[in-house]
Order: sequence, then structure tokens, then C-alpha cells
Amino acid sequence: MTDGLDDSAIILSGVRKSYGRTMAVRNLSLRVSQGELFAFLGPNGAGKTTTIKMIVGLLRPDEGSVSVCGHAIGSNGVAAKARLAYVPDQPFIYDKLTGREFLYFVAEMFSIPTQQRDLRLNTLIRRLDIGEFLDHLTESYSHGMKQKIVLAAALLHDPAVLVIDEPMVGLDPRTVRSVKNLFTEHTRNGGTIFMSTHTLEIAEALADRIGIIHRGDLIAVGTLAELKKQAKREHSLEDVFLELTEVNDE
Amino acid sequence: MSDALTLSNSAGKLRLLLAVRGRAMSNRVAQAVRNAPVRLAAALFLIALIWVGLYGLFHLVFVQLSRTPLEATIAIPLVFNFFFVAMLALLAFSNAIIVYGTLFGKTEAPFLLTLPVAPLDVVTVKYLECLALSSWSLILLGLPMMFAMAATSKEPIFYFFFLGFFLAFIPIPGAIGLLIAWAVARFFPRRATRAVTVLAVVALVVVIVAVLRSVQFGETATEVWLRAFLSRMSFVQSALLPNNWVASGIDNALQGQFTVSFCYLGVTLANALFLSWLAVRTVSRHFDRAYDRASAGRGKSERLAIRASGGPAGWVFFYLPLPLRLIAAKDLRTFFRDPLQWSQLTILFGLLVLYLTNMPTLRLEFSASGWFLFIPFLNLCAVSLILATFTCRFVFPLVSLEGQKLWLLGVLPLQRGRVLYAKFAFSMTVTLLVAVGAMSLAVWMLRLDAVWSAIHLVVTIAICFGLCGFSVGIGARLPMFDQNNVARIASGLGGTTNLLASVALVALVLTGVGMATWDSRFDSAHAIPDGRSILLCAAAVAVSVAAGCAALRLGARHFSRVEV
Repeated sequence: MTDGLDDSAIILSGVRKSYGRTMAVRNLSLRVSQGELFAFLGPNGAGKTTTIKMIVGLLRPDEGSVSVCGHAIGSNGVAAKARLAYVPDQPFIYDKLTGREFLYFVAEMFSIPTQQRDLRLNTLIRRLDIGEFLDHLTESYSHGMKQKIVLAAALLHDPAVLVIDEPMVGLDPRTVRSVKNLFTEHTRNGGTIFMSTHTLEIAEALADRIGIIHRGDLIAVGTLAELKKQAKREHSLEDVFLELTEVNDE
Repeated sequence: MSDALTLSNSAGKLRLLLAVRGRAMSNRVAQAVRNAPVRLAAALFLIALIWVGLYGLFHLVFVQLSRTPLEATIAIPLVFNFFFVAMLALLAFSNAIIVYGTLFGKTEAPFLLTLPVAPLDVVTVKYLECLALSSWSLILLGLPMMFAMAATSKEPIFYFFFLGFFLAFIPIPGAIGLLIAWAVARFFPRRATRAVTVLAVVALVVVIVAVLRSVQFGETATEVWLRAFLSRMSFVQSALLPNNWVASGIDNALQGQFTVSFCYLGVTLANALFLSWLAVRTVSRHFDRAYDRASAGRGKSERLAIRASGGPAGWVFFYLPLPLRLIAAKDLRTFFRDPLQWSQLTILFGLLVLYLTNMPTLRLEFSASGWFLFIPFLNLCAVSLILATFTCRFVFPLVSLEGQKLWLLGVLPLQRGRVLYAKFAFSMTVTLLVAVGAMSLAVWMLRLDAVWSAIHLVVTIAICFGLCGFSVGIGARLPMFDQNNVARIASGLGGTTNLLASVALVALVLTGVGMATWDSRFDSAHAIPDGRSILLCAAAVAVSVAAGCAALRLGARHFSRVEV
């Protein structure tokens, strides 16, 4: 179902998720707009990955609802996923396929015409510097190489919503710069990025808005300036993050 | 922004998922041909050898049976019935375990679930994959039997007929397994593996106890006894069981009644297709909830607060220096926290214990001259072969599994080769407990004389030593450090070498004990064995211990030099 009334790419409404007695995410409501890069921060075990898994449809909320581009992820999952790309912190690649075969598979899964696929792939090969090993079996790749292939697979179909868990782990500085540029271009073209990270400098440099989750509660959300105001700190995002999570511990 | 995505139809996605598997398989084969042609050739040769061996064995049995019309008429359908009922149970559980791992695991399934592909396609492709993976045992064991049967009947058409029955039968346990895996994920997500294991063990024990209780051997095996026995076994011939459709179909084909046989083939095929459709539809319709429950339940079990060097796991290895004690205790704890490992050991030795405790129902005169050593020797053979199976499957991969932790073990303040002694201590502890326990029960049930009891127990300990030494030593000499999958490590080149070496060692040791048993066959039950018998057994023990030590030494030398 598409309401078409607002420009929200991701909507979480009163979402709750528990693992047995452990409450992972508590009554989370959040809207991320089209063209926005949203950084999702939080200490280890705060509920970031659980939230991401609910957005991409890997977990079902115990309560509440999640929709992507107007499509409820539960009832209209295939339509929502057609507009979505997900890069997990530990991505899966078929180890007996070459990088190119894997990317072709993903392209076909998203029904990208061959000409468009080749055009897009050539750009990504150049930007991510993956040409040298693209025709080798992925089992021989280092962590960074795999991360590049997975990023290329995610960007190949130019998704409306890109959900990423720790995007820069294992990447060399040159690729980090490329990925930052790709993200900026993606949002400038109307795409949405929901990014979970512990690298606060990246969030500080790229994010339009930042959300901080702590022990399952969304304790702060807003622009960097708004968060600084909330934390009564004028320094870096690191200070703001530590201040807000510490206050909530007390 | 490519917002106007045209979604492929479902059949297209299914074809794509199958095509990617085909491509991965062809890459794998090409890689094996290019990088390890000898290993591939050896594997194919061994498979061919097993097939030819099984074919020869079954052919011999069927030729023998065809010479005795009564037994052939009654026994052949029953043999098929038992074969397929066993396959039905084994394949259902095997499928359930494989489906659970592949459909609710942490690797490919979550990746596929984030793609625009319907759960029906994901479940269908995983179902087909699991059918292929779990059915190799049926192909390996069943086809030689079928071909032997067809060759005995001298009708070439039977080859195709039997193949048809095989292919029609395979989806039935597959569909049952799929439903079991889904039900476990949906309703017992927190202790999924444990639930499947307990279910399998309970079912197995109930069936075996029921069978053993129904079989009471008389003093002589007469035709009356045979008929009574077959009558008791008739429960496997229920018209509602798929094994009976296949067995009856084959039996009718053998008797030239092709119409009836075709009818059974149709019944089997129709049920297989219907069950597959039902299972795939049911599971795919409720897949997301089951996946969610399985994911949410994973790794959230009870809190385990044990000190690394403390607790029972540490006490068991009190005789080891602290660093080695820590490693051995870690392995013991891992063993007991992995239901796949302890459950297989429990099943194997549980069956053995069940058999041993039921030996009095055989009503054989064990103390009679010529008999009193024969049964204990067979028991020793059974224990040794089960031990070899266990060490090859679970002890051998121990060193390879440390490959990705060598960054830690490599910088510990101890010689790296000594790590193997901790592995050896761990495997000896586990195997000694079960093997010596089983052998003690065996000699006690048979009221074996003290000297022969001691000989059997010492030989058991020596075989444990040799097999553990082989598995740890060869495991360190031919490791697969890049592999996390225990099954793949055990079935690789090193695993196969270890299996062959272990079987050869067991054969050698048992030959020595067997010769001693043969020499003493006419002695009275309480006679002390002569010098030659004791010497033969001592030589067998020495061979086993020396072989274990040599393998350990070889492995330790290589392991201390290895670069990862």
C-alpha cells in the first residue's frame, strides 16, 4: 500500500522487539525522509542491528509497523525489498562465484536490463577499484575486497533506500573517500541512506540527522546542532554521544 | 533513481536461484579439476570402489536367497520394507537437520530474504537443495542394491523401474524433514538443535526397544520361528507407509506383475508430489514468522558462568599443566555445548549398550567351548569401529578448527606443538569414558573370565590411544585451516587419509586379538590364556600405542612449523 502523502522513505511506528526477557527495541517511532542520510548510533547491544533487521524484513516487530517507500515490510515485503538494499556487518557472498558472477546475479534479481547493468557496473568498478579481482572466486577475497563487492551489489540497482551496518570496516582510505562520495551523490539524487556506525567522524561528516539508541530506547534524534543543544555540549559528536548515553545510564 | 522496477515473475526468480547454484557447482568442479586432480580422482575411485563392493555384496546375498525359494519369497519384500522404512526415518531427520541449518541459519537465507524474491521461491530452492544433499546416502547404498537385484532377475527393464521408485520415494522423507525443521524453528526456537536431537534420540530408542522386545529368539531357528518373527515384523508393512508402496512395487515388478507395480509407482509419485507441494506451501506461507522466531531465539539461552580453568571441565584434566588444561577444558566444554557432537556419540554408544543389555535374550550358551571368546571379540570389533567413526568425524577436525584462532594460540607462552597434547588428552578422556564403559558392560554381561576381561579392556584403551593419536596427529599434518565446517574437514583429503589409516589400524589390532581368540577357542571358559595368545594381544596393544605416538609426533612437528 502506498499512501503517497509524505516523503518518508522509512517509517517505524511504535516498534517493539524483545528476545525472550530481553527488550532489544522499545516503542521506537522514526521517520527518515527521501534524500536523507540518517546515522544510527548507539553502544554495543543497544538495539541498532535489531532495528536494521526489522527495517529490511529479517525480523518482525512484536508490536508496531515498519514501511519502506510506502510499502509495509511485513505484508508487502517483495515490493518494499525491490526498493531496498542492505549491507550487513558480516555480509554473505557465494564463495564459489566470482565477484562479477555475484554482481550479475544481484542485477538479475532486481531485473536490471543488461545494458543498464553494464553501464552501472563499469562506474562502480572504477569508483570502488574492484576491476583487478572481479573475475576471481570470492573465496580468495580479503575482508575489504568482500566489503567493496557487497557495496557494489547494493548500489548496482540504485536503490531508493540503502541500509548499511558499519559501512567502512575493512576499507582502505581511498575507498572510504569513494564510498563517502557515492553516499553523498546517492542522497543528492533522492536516495535515502540509513547507516549504523561506531565511526562517529563519518556520521558527523555525512549525516543529515543522527539518532542515538541506548538500551532499546531512542534517546535522541536530530541534526548535529540539535543534539549538541540537547546534550548542552558544543564540542564533537563524540562528546555528545558520551554525554547522552551516560546521562541515560544514570 | 530506478523507482519503476519491473519485478520478474516467480518462475524467473526460481530459475535464477537454481542457475546460481549450477554456476557455483560448475566453478567448484572446475576448481577441483584444476587444483586437485589427484584428490578428485581418488574420491571418484573410492566411490566407485564402494559401489562395486556393495554391488558384489548384495549380488551375493540375492543369488543366495534365490536358491532358497521360501526365504526368498518371504524375506525379499521384507528386506526392502526394512530398508525403505529405515531410509524414511533417516532421511526425514537428515533433511530436518540440513533444512534447519540452511533455511534458518545465518548465511545465505538472510541474504536472500533481503532480495525482492518471494519466500515460496526461497523455500522451494532450499528444499530441492536439501533433497540433493541428504539423498546421497540412499543413492550410495540403494542403487548398488537395486542394480544387484535387477542383475539377479536378468531383466534390464528393472534398472529403470528401480530408479523410478528411488526418485519417487526421495521427496517423501524430504517433505517430512522440511515440516519438522519449520515446526522446530516456529515452536521451539530457543533450543532448536536440542529439540531435534532429543526427538531423534527418543524416537530411535523407542523403535529399537520395540523391535528388541518383539524379538525373542528360541533355541533353534526353525521355519515356525521364521514365520512368527516375520509376523511380528509386519508392522513395517502397513499399507499406509511409503516404504511398503516402494517394496510392494519392486516385488510385483520382480514377479512380472508390471501393472500392479506401475500402480504402486503412481501412488508413490502422487504422494511424493502432494507432500512436497503441501510442505513447501505451508513452510513458505509461514516462513517469515518462523525465521523471525529462529533468529530471535538464537544464542539467547541460559547464562553460562564458569571460570575458564574451573568447574568440572577443569577438574577432569587435573593432570595437565595449566595452559594445556585450559585448552582441553575449552574443548570439553565446547563438546558438551554442541548437541551434534555429544548426541552422535550418545546414539552410537547408546545402541551398543542397548544391544549389550539385551544379549541375555539371545539365550546362547556363552560359556560353551568355542563360543565364550567369540562374542566378546565381536563386541570389541563393534566398539573399535564405532570409536574410529567418532574420532574421524569429531576428533580429526579439532586442529583444523583452531586455524582461525592461531593468532591466539600462536602467541601463547607455550610451544605450539604442545597444543596437540591438550587435544589428545581431551579426545582420550571422552573416548575412554564411553569405550571402556561399554566394554566393561560387555564383559560383565558375558561373565567373562578376569584375565580375558582385562585383555579386552587393555586392548580397548590401546585402540582409543591409537585412534586419538591418529586423528590428532593426521589432523595436524593435513589440516584445513580455512574451513569452519566440521563435515567438510572430515571429508577432505586429510579426513579420508585419517579414515583409511584408522580402519587399517583397527584391522591390524583386531587381527592380533582375533588370532589369540582363535587359538584359545577350545579352552575352557576359566582357563588362563597361553603365552602365544597373551603375546599376540600384547603385540596388538604395542602396535596401537606406537602408531598413535608416531602420528602425534609427526603432527606436532608439522604444527609447530605451520604458517597461517
